[in-house]
Amino acid sequence: MRKITETLIIFICVILFSCDQKLDIEPAQSISVDKALSEENTIKNILIGTYEEAGQSASFGGRNHVISDLLGASEQISWEGTFLEPRQIFTKNILVDNSFVEGLWQNSYEVINQANLVIDNISVINQTTESNRVEGEAKFLRALAYFDLVRHFGGVPLRIEGIVDYSSDLNIQRSSEEEIYNQIISDLNDSYNLLPPSNDFFADKYAAKALLARVYLQRSEYSNALDAAHDVIVNSGHELADTFAGAFNNDVDGVEDIFAFQVTSQGGTNQCIIFYASQSNGGRQGDITLQPAYFELFGDDLNDARYSFNYVSPDNGGTLTSKFTNQYGNVPVLRMAEMHLIRAESNFRLSSSEGMTPLSEINTLRARSNAKPLSELSIDIIFNERQLELAFEGHLIHDHKRLGKNVGSLQSNDPKLLLPIPQSEMDSNSEMAQNPGY
Amino acid sequence: MKKIFLSFSFIIFFITILVGQKTVTGVVVDEIGIPLPGASVVEVGTTNGVSTDFDGNYTIDIGENSSLEFSFVGYGSTIILVGEQDKIDVTLNPSNELAEVVVVGYGSQKKVTLTDNVARVTSEDLSDVPTPNLFNAITGRVAGVQINQTNGKVEAGLNFRIRGQSSISAGSDPLYVLDGVPLINDNESSNGAPTNPLITLNPSEIESIDILKDASAASIYGSRGANGVVIITTKKGRSGEASFNVNFSNGFSSPAKTRDWMNADEYIEIFTEAAENGLAYGGWPGNGAAYVEARFDRYSDYTWQEGAYDTDWEKMALVDGYTRDADISMSGGSDKTNYYFSVSYNDTKGIVRGNELTKINARTNISHNFSDKFSLSMNLGFNRSKIDRIANDNAFVTPLQAIAQAPISPAFLDGEPFSNTVYPNFLLEDKYGFFNTIIRRATGKISGDYKIIPNLKFTSSFAFDSYAQTEDQFRGSKTPFQSTNGEGTATNVQTENYIFSNYLTYDKNFNEDHVLNAVLGTEYNESNRRFTSVQGEQFPTDDFQTLSSAAEITSGSGNATAYSFVSYFSRLTYSFKNKYLLKLGLRYDGSSRFGKNAQYGTFPSFSAGWILSEESFLKDNDVINFLKFRASWGQVGNAEIGNFASRGLFGGVSYNQRPGIAPIQAENAQLSWESSAQTDISLQFGILENKISGEITYYNKDTDNLLFDQPLPLSSGASSITKNIGRLKNSGFEFLLDTKNITKEDFNWKTSFNIGINTSEVVTLPGGNDVINSRNILREGEALYSFYLPEYAGVDSQNGDALYYVNTEENGTLNKSTTNEYTDAERIVAGNPLPEFIFGFTNTLNYKNFDFTMIFQGEFGASIYNSAGRFQSANGDWFDNQTKDQLNRWQNPGDETDVPQARLGWSNGTGHSTRYLEDADFIRLRNLTIGYNFPGKINERLKLKNGRVYLSGFNLLTFTNYSGYDPESRTDAGGIGQVFYSAPSARTISIGLNLGF
Repeated sequence: MRKITETLIIFICVILFSCDQKLDIEPAQSISVDKALSEENTIKNILIGTYEEAGQSASFGGRNHVISDLLGASEQISWEGTFLEPRQIFTKNILVDNSFVEGLWQNSYEVINQANLVIDNISVINQTTESNRVEGEAKFLRALAYFDLVRHFGGVPLRIEGIVDYSSDLNIQRSSEEEIYNQIISDLNDSYNLLPPSNDFFADKYAAKALLARVYLQRSEYSNALDAAHDVIVNSGHELADTFAGAFNNDVDGVEDIFAFQVTSQGGTNQCIIFYASQSNGGRQGDITLQPAYFELFGDDLNDARYSFNYVSPDNGGTLTSKFTNQYGNVPVLRMAEMHLIRAESNFRLSSSEGMTPLSEINTLRARSNAKPLSELSIDIIFNERQLELAFEGHLIHDHKRLGKNVGSLQSNDPKLLLPIPQSEMDSNSEMAQNPGY
Repeated sequence: MKKIFLSFSFIIFFITILVGQKTVTGVVVDEIGIPLPGASVVEVGTTNGVSTDFDGNYTIDIGENSSLEFSFVGYGSTIILVGEQDKIDVTLNPSNELAEVVVVGYGSQKKVTLTDNVARVTSEDLSDVPTPNLFNAITGRVAGVQINQTNGKVEAGLNFRIRGQSSISAGSDPLYVLDGVPLINDNESSNGAPTNPLITLNPSEIESIDILKDASAASIYGSRGANGVVIITTKKGRSGEASFNVNFSNGFSSPAKTRDWMNADEYIEIFTEAAENGLAYGGWPGNGAAYVEARFDRYSDYTWQEGAYDTDWEKMALVDGYTRDADISMSGGSDKTNYYFSVSYNDTKGIVRGNELTKINARTNISHNFSDKFSLSMNLGFNRSKIDRIANDNAFVTPLQAIAQAPISPAFLDGEPFSNTVYPNFLLEDKYGFFNTIIRRATGKISGDYKIIPNLKFTSSFAFDSYAQTEDQFRGSKTPFQSTNGEGTATNVQTENYIFSNYLTYDKNFNEDHVLNAVLGTEYNESNRRFTSVQGEQFPTDDFQTLSSAAEITSGSGNATAYSFVSYFSRLTYSFKNKYLLKLGLRYDGSSRFGKNAQYGTFPSFSAGWILSEESFLKDNDVINFLKFRASWGQVGNAEIGNFASRGLFGGVSYNQRPGIAPIQAENAQLSWESSAQTDISLQFGILENKISGEITYYNKDTDNLLFDQPLPLSSGASSITKNIGRLKNSGFEFLLDTKNITKEDFNWKTSFNIGINTSEVVTLPGGNDVINSRNILREGEALYSFYLPEYAGVDSQNGDALYYVNTEENGTLNKSTTNEYTDAERIVAGNPLPEFIFGFTNTLNYKNFDFTMIFQGEFGASIYNSAGRFQSANGDWFDNQTKDQLNRWQNPGDETDVPQARLGWSNGTGHSTRYLEDADFIRLRNLTIGYNFPGKINERLKLKNGRVYLSGFNLLTFTNYSGYDPESRTDAGGIGQVFYSAPSARTISIGLNLGF
């Protein structure tokens, strides 16, 4: 009997050994939402995380550019690759489950939610200059994401409060394009007012202004576009790179870069490389090749440095742009040439000469590439110039829509030139409405 | 009451004395005449019993007119009426029959009095099958258990489903327990394709596998039992002379199936036509046929017009393989000590180029009785598995994607892999890159038993499972997409799992009629995982392949995670007169994986049985020898989700080398167990001298509070949240029929037939809303993850457009008119990715010295979606080589065909639809083995105890209408019920030699 008692005592001790504290295990690679939203340092970390999110492949890591180029192109480029999704975009036969489209949508809203979380909790940061800078950057990134959403999808859900509680009702209707644009413009104006004039490789106030110039141009508000572009040209300290080639493939932001997403061998991604470059440059082979119609844009000006800014892919024999040849080069978003083109076009439309006459501004830009000076301007000539200068940087479809120009046989307002709302959003958001034609 | 009870006991006592006593002696041997020490000899209906000694001898005093039951673990038992005999020699055969003992977790039970549903597979079923994957050998052996290897890669993941899939988002794998150690079963592959962590197990070390199918059996494992439990027991030594066994086998493999692809002429024909049609249809490609001719030039190295190459790319990817096995074991023991040692080597070259597995296993199992009261045992096994891996199914450089290459391309040009192929040539990867995985695993347990009093035993054990894996990848400067002078990756993962268990076992027979067994215990289980990896590029030359030589280190990572379980468990079994059986079980589990509010769960179970054949009205029935009815109910949990799934979390990220954080998981503080209530009702029978025996079972698995990754609107910034929502039901029938068709001295023929019918149904979902996950849907009333696709309606015979059924719902019926616009077609529930009916059919024959085994297996009701169909059977939509059936494309108005017009780049009929969905019903000759046992004379001359040669085939024949590679094969790159360039399984024929000394 004594033995039984002893054993039972041992047994009970063993049971007690297995106690509750053994169940307290904390994650080693993550922190709680509460902690992330309650400290000055972590709020700033969330902002950095928002840049990282926006720089991912699905959007500003480059697919955003690729989608715009393929959607806007008819004959100037060809899609040679095997991926179905970009091919659907190129042939304007996009299906609702296109994963590139879904990725763009998802990634943009991830950026928006993270920016929202920073803005919602900005009061955690005590020091005003710091909180202004952080808020300004977050609003810049939010505006950047919404601008591409509204241009590609039309009116989209407007979410301007960060979501933490995912058990709440997340269904939401689409807002009108107007409401989205109002938010973008308001965010960019705030951003301009809050941000310092320079801010390392992060967004500064001129990045906000430059984006605003692009937004106004898209909306044909030429006077506002003119003011914004002029402000950037005069005050930002950025200028055109000495050579056309100098504007691209930069490991660190060049003098022309107003804002770019940062890529290094250790982080970030440049998807323009993936689809535009040969394998030896880090691409797939050159899935997007330049076609004769593109070269015809140059007329007989064969000395234009931009005309010969390309190479033949050893992988597929196609002609590829040289804008993307550095695998770890930054992905440019806003550069000075665009500001000059915006100012020139706005001046031309308003018959003004703020800063410079439109003709001499265009010719200055052309001079950098050894292109012959032009003797006269028209909207079509300016559009042509934009294509020579800004091709493959994600402007094409938006210019077509802005200028009411057909894409191939499709009118610029054809529903096929608007991306479909991704099937997964349709399946999970009961308030969502699909774009016409899908 | 007490008085009556006492009187009753006294009467029995006196009867025992009054009845005459006699002594019986004899020897118990196994099927080949080797004495069985430690076999149990029991006077039927009493607790009077002895064990055989060292040489298999026994002596027992029994009453007259008694019967003796002889049994031994892993062997059948036999009951013999003593009558006038006083010397009875018995031969016991290893068997699956009713009287065997099964391992049930923290103990074992006799199958005859078992009230739970436990199926058992023993070593003899496992040996001979030429496959390095242990579980491949039991496919088709057990009713209601579906076992498929994901695809034909040697290390491919395992789908082991006991009675269907009982979870949606949480794990669906059963819990594997090896000699009491819950095994680490995490997929640690970093190339996207899961590996099977249990590839480290060695079939020749395994004595038995017990599958706990119902909740009553699995509930002793509480929160981890919902998917069933697989208990693996390794071999032990038996007292007696040492025996020494060697087994060698050598097998040859080839792909179980190949497909028909277009040859060079056909390829040129269809794409020339496609380009012309594309131009006519939509104005692209602008220069029509000239566009594709430029492509042909590039793909064929400018030789297509003279027809220089007609490459069979499938042959480049699917090759002949082999499997070589050598096992050596020694076992034996004295009256106090038993030992078992084994070592084995397996080398399997897969049927996919560049895929190979080499493994070495060793094991020592020792036990020693220090005294009558105290014994110790230790089991220790270790393994080294080296796997030459290839990329996942969704990578251009995975070998089987070569079937997309143009037949006009040479595979090699001047000895070098040709590089201007349609897709990157995997042969470049094969030649200039590698991906090696090495797993080093040690699993061991030390366990002590102490008898406190004769009926009460205390068991304490400490067990450890250590899973260490390294991966080394190098991609030289000539591999596809390589632009950085080579790149290399090295990963290292170390997972340890330790378990400290303590329990008391009480065994007592009261007054002979009452047999009681009770188990009460506690267990603590902790698992830690640590992972590091380094990635670098810029190597001086391709000769430098380790990361020290990388000029630039591009990324590194290091992380750690852990989980723990604290458990209390108990089990009480009681039988009255060996007729009325009852079992109660209770487990109380806590886990670090769940939120503070929901950390503990209680898992009860009950089961009962009634052996009708022991009742007087059946006892002497000539037809019915055995009849048992049993029923069970229990609740088990599924804890297989992420370690911190309930929490809202931010994780670290970096942007231009600045640290940041980003949300990685949405919070759900209420997250708890997925609980599954299961009912099981069975009837077991044996008739005509047990020549026909079997089992009929109905079960119902009702899983509530599903752990479920609910998709969120992407516009919320998160894509899913893990919740306990919804209900899922799996119910069905299982039939088992074993017959002894011929039982003669030198001719035996047995068959075993099993069927599992399972119906899965999603019962409730949050708000009743559909949850759509790309091409699969969860919808109330439908089977789990049903396919959800637009319905293909063939071809418009006027213009060659693909047609789809509109399928809009109008007044409760579907509009079956057709449309040429893919986007106008509504999706419908189009098929079930999981089988509804599976069966296995085993024949075993022994004729003189020959033995013969044949296993058929079949699955019905599942469909397979070929996600690569839109590339490979796409009527020449892009430059992928096409399946030969695409030659039947529409060409002229009036053509009636299922293949639309070839239209380069215009996606004619290539949208995901039922066009690429197919039934996957099949019957397969899984294994066929013919063996020859050496006759005694030869054995004597060779000084052998036994010797056998055998010929064994694996996956020999498949009967199916499925046109893809393999109805058992699925993609390893994600997607449910889909294939995507997924390799078929291997067909292997091997010759083996087995010698015992």
